[in-house]
Amino acid sequence: MDIDYRETLRYLGYKNQAADEAVLALVSQCWEELERISSPRSFWREYPLTAAEDEIDAGVFQTRSRALGRNLRGCERILVFAASLGAGADLLIQRYEKLQMSKAVVMQAAAAAYLENYCNSVNEELRQRYEADGWYLRPRFSPGYGDFPLECQTAIVAALEAGKRVGITLTDSLLMVPSKSVTAVIGVGRTPLACEVKGCEACGKTDCEFRR
Amino acid sequence: MGILETVRKRKLFFDGGMGSLLVAKGLNPGELPETWNVTHPEVLQEIHLQYLRAGSDEITTNTFGANGLKFGSDGEFSLKRIVTAAVENAKIARERFAKERRALADGMPADVTGTAECPKAVQMAENPTDGAAKAVWNSSSGAARAAGNPESDAAETEPCAYIGLDLGPTGKLLKPLGDLAFEDAYELYKEVVIYGAEAGADFVLVETMSDGYEAKAAILAAKENCDLPVCATMIFDSKGKLLTGGDVASTVALLEGLGVSMLGVNCGLGPVQMKEILKEILKAASVPVIVNPNAGLPRTENGKTVYDIDADEFAGVMEEIADMGANALGGCCGTTPEHIAKMTALCRDKKQVLPEEKNRTVISSYAQAVEIGQSPVLIGERINPTGKSKFKQALRDHNIEYILREGVTQQDHGAHVLDVNVGLPEIDEPSMMEEVVRELQSVIDLPLQIDTSNIEAMEWALRIYNGKALINSVNGKEESMRAVFPLVKKYGGVVVALTLDESGIPETADGRIEIAKKIYRTAAEYGIAKKDILIDALCLTISSDSKGALTTLETLRRVRDELHGKTVLGVSNISFGLPQREIINASFFTMALQNGLNAAIINPNSEAMMRAYYSFKALADLDPQCGEYISVYSGQTATLGQSAVVGGASAGTSNVGTAGAEGVNDGSFSGAAGTSSGTGKAAGASAGIAAGGKSTAGSQSSAAFGELSLARCILRGLKEQAQAAVRELLVQRDSLSIINGEMIPALDQVGKGFEKGTVFLPQLLMSAEAAKAAFEVIKEHMSSKGESRQKKGKIVLATVKGDIHDIGKNIVKVLLENYDYEVIDLGKDVPPETVASAAAEYHVPLVGLSALMTTTVPAMEETIALLRKETPWVKIMVGGAVLTEDYAKTIGADRYCKDAMASVNYAEEIMQKPAG
Repeated sequence: MDIDYRETLRYLGYKNQAADEAVLALVSQCWEELERISSPRSFWREYPLTAAEDEIDAGVFQTRSRALGRNLRGCERILVFAASLGAGADLLIQRYEKLQMSKAVVMQAAAAAYLENYCNSVNEELRQRYEADGWYLRPRFSPGYGDFPLECQTAIVAALEAGKRVGITLTDSLLMVPSKSVTAVIGVGRTPLACEVKGCEACGKTDCEFRR
Repeated sequence: MGILETVRKRKLFFDGGMGSLLVAKGLNPGELPETWNVTHPEVLQEIHLQYLRAGSDEITTNTFGANGLKFGSDGEFSLKRIVTAAVENAKIARERFAKERRALADGMPADVTGTAECPKAVQMAENPTDGAAKAVWNSSSGAARAAGNPESDAAETEPCAYIGLDLGPTGKLLKPLGDLAFEDAYELYKEVVIYGAEAGADFVLVETMSDGYEAKAAILAAKENCDLPVCATMIFDSKGKLLTGGDVASTVALLEGLGVSMLGVNCGLGPVQMKEILKEILKAASVPVIVNPNAGLPRTENGKTVYDIDADEFAGVMEEIADMGANALGGCCGTTPEHIAKMTALCRDKKQVLPEEKNRTVISSYAQAVEIGQSPVLIGERINPTGKSKFKQALRDHNIEYILREGVTQQDHGAHVLDVNVGLPEIDEPSMMEEVVRELQSVIDLPLQIDTSNIEAMEWALRIYNGKALINSVNGKEESMRAVFPLVKKYGGVVVALTLDESGIPETADGRIEIAKKIYRTAAEYGIAKKDILIDALCLTISSDSKGALTTLETLRRVRDELHGKTVLGVSNISFGLPQREIINASFFTMALQNGLNAAIINPNSEAMMRAYYSFKALADLDPQCGEYISVYSGQTATLGQSAVVGGASAGTSNVGTAGAEGVNDGSFSGAAGTSSGTGKAAGASAGIAAGGKSTAGSQSSAAFGELSLARCILRGLKEQAQAAVRELLVQRDSLSIINGEMIPALDQVGKGFEKGTVFLPQLLMSAEAAKAAFEVIKEHMSSKGESRQKKGKIVLATVKGDIHDIGKNIVKVLLENYDYEVIDLGKDVPPETVASAAAEYHVPLVGLSALMTTTVPAMEETIALLRKETPWVKIMVGGAVLTEDYAKTIGADRYCKDAMASVNYAEEIMQKPAG
């Protein structure tokens, strides 16, 4: 994967400012170490979807969420998705937390960007596959976004057997371990979205310091 | 022992998938499959029976996810009831099958064999010789009887299959990455093992493990709480790696070290992809190998998982796998009785060939195996307080970072294994050993050598060690062997055996060889193979015994040639009492290698020793095309230290990127050399050569350090340069004026820039690291003059209970330490009581808490409430991604800190006033 300086720096709090050479060098070192050590994996399953406004029944979980309801409007099916960089990325971050904090924070940001790009590439494959059959995908939406309850994690992780297939486990407080993991749902409908609102633009937290 | 006898005679067949069959019978998503053991026993019995009819020799209990995290201690679904029912269901299925089989053997009319009800019978009838099939079953039932199954000796039951008590993963990741402690995982498995063994399982099957550490917890629990054989299968990905990074060789070393009877691979992949993994396993394993693949690679169609191959293809590939040398075959996710029936039909008559004893001496970390054999292995000796006052102080202060750096530096310089010795008279060695081993194995992926004469410390370390350790040491004394060998047997490991006994160190090689023989013999009585012993030929300093070296060399040679054993040596003892010890050490090292030394305990930071090592390898045809030698010494690529820095790290002994940007690339090695004594000269010289090799760097030798002021070094985050600059300043100025006049203003400037948004987090931390490096120089300087720097105050930091992301807290810690606060870092996932008692114990004025998730903020609130009650004088600052000013107020914190600088500012504010 190409080094994504821009996203890595954004996670580090840069807002379009240029980073100095030393930081850029750290970014590229971290990215290379991640490439060497992490083994990204993903898994997804499709389920029929019943959604009436904010009442959502995705087969594997039932929940009430306005934000998710909006996201899934017009969808008939839902993809439940999980991806992870594996324990290697966490081990790297942990290593540098003990040895060189400056590198640990860059590693953490690089791993976040790496994971996001990996998810995007899997997502893109899915999009192409579905569009070939006349289906259109909605943007990925994860538990914890807006009012999509984090509690749905338990059902999602269990239904996907994410522990076995992707290596994701949950702590008692519903944190995913390894930390560089994603679970999400992707709505599937017969109509394309006129204007795709996704990522930061879809999020209600307008005072977020990482907002694009 | 039944199943082990059977697998020695013929191919053994496991059953197939369970989960998807239960779903087909109506198990709802979200319903725990194990509850069906109690609610739908007939379904479970039927599935087991189908597998038996399909030819499975073993049936696995439906206890994959049965553990104390999911099931309580009483009620309808108590863990005991779930596990007992699971074994009962398997037993009932086995009895029913035995009846069917007896009916067949008693000469049932031919038409019965044709009914769909009994496909097994069909297969047996298809078998060319009925007698052969019968013989097979007889042998297995006989074996089951031998296992002492109370019901198996009754002629009526005649069990014909083994019941495997399934231990799956806990569903949690172990610490330090996850939130489950190794000991807690052990307890979870222990409970299941006790119930399952009591209910009558024939063996324990640890399976679908993607973390060797968790597998170790399960295997230990099984070994310590029942007498049944233990088998283990792991999930490898298509690259042959476990989720936690271990490879096949390291995993096999771990599992065999722990004494599993069979090992292998299951789940994760289809049979096609498993062939490669199997090849690797067969290269390493000495016990029978199990292969239980999924039904293929999965894909989803309409919410259902389907596999890329069908049952016929599955069976066909399994036949190849049987031919490759797998000893036990079965299936995992997606496989059905049909898959198993087709597979057993193709594989039943295959000749069983057991893996041969590999006789390889292997140790491992969580990530890699190190073989001690032809190519010499370097054991870094620096993690040892003997004669090192700084190291002793680090141990007393629990300064783990110092110890980790000693480890990383040695790894960067080429060590393959790290010796860990933390023995100091005044410390609690077992708990210190455990702490240091835990920390080292969370940061460094090299195998460790547990070096202690304290048996308790040895056992604690071996228990929590994530791999197969090197153990230092045992010797020929009865007492020593009696204490150490049981640990080696139980936890696995390769043990260093000193050739001395009750009568001391023999002066002759003859005497040492005799002791080596005695040690081998005694070890064998404990079931420890010769391959797991490294004979330490011992060396006595030549300054007191001029024949000392010759005796050692003769011993090495004879262990190799006469005993065909492996050897180890603490090389540097040879020069004790002599000047310029490295000269002698390096020459002796070469001589020892030439006489067959397999592993050397040395200082890898010593240029002289590493030269001996690399040149020996090149000369002894152990370095193809002299590639390694050239890469280290050609000068055009790098010198010893630098090649290590480029490869290893990264590791952060130096700020490589920054140094490069400044065009001063000799800093990296001199930094490393600073931690090791006696190498300064050689290191400096080689670094100079390297610098000369690069035109830009050539002009900027160490003299260039002076050109950058200390303040600029800190502003730009240049660690080594900051140290050099401060050394220069210390010649003319006193410590305090340097700190207050140069360093603090620079730190303030960076901090202000960070607050304004012109300096970013990585730069802030690089500056902090440069300042810290400079402070260390000042600290050393002051302590050499008997002075010490007054800390501003103590602060307790913790990431609250349930939260395992503590990077934010660690950032705060780095900065607070920069500003001269003593941070008591309680780590992550810290219970409120621990925070409160630390705050009380150290009587701190300030506590900092971090929480990342909304789900863990309640724990923060609870912690604050407890602090208010127990330590009312304490001020509390909080931070974390989900917190806001308002939120912080709601939960009762004194101050919300939006970033690390805000924490520093608040600390400065608080500490100006007296506490209370």
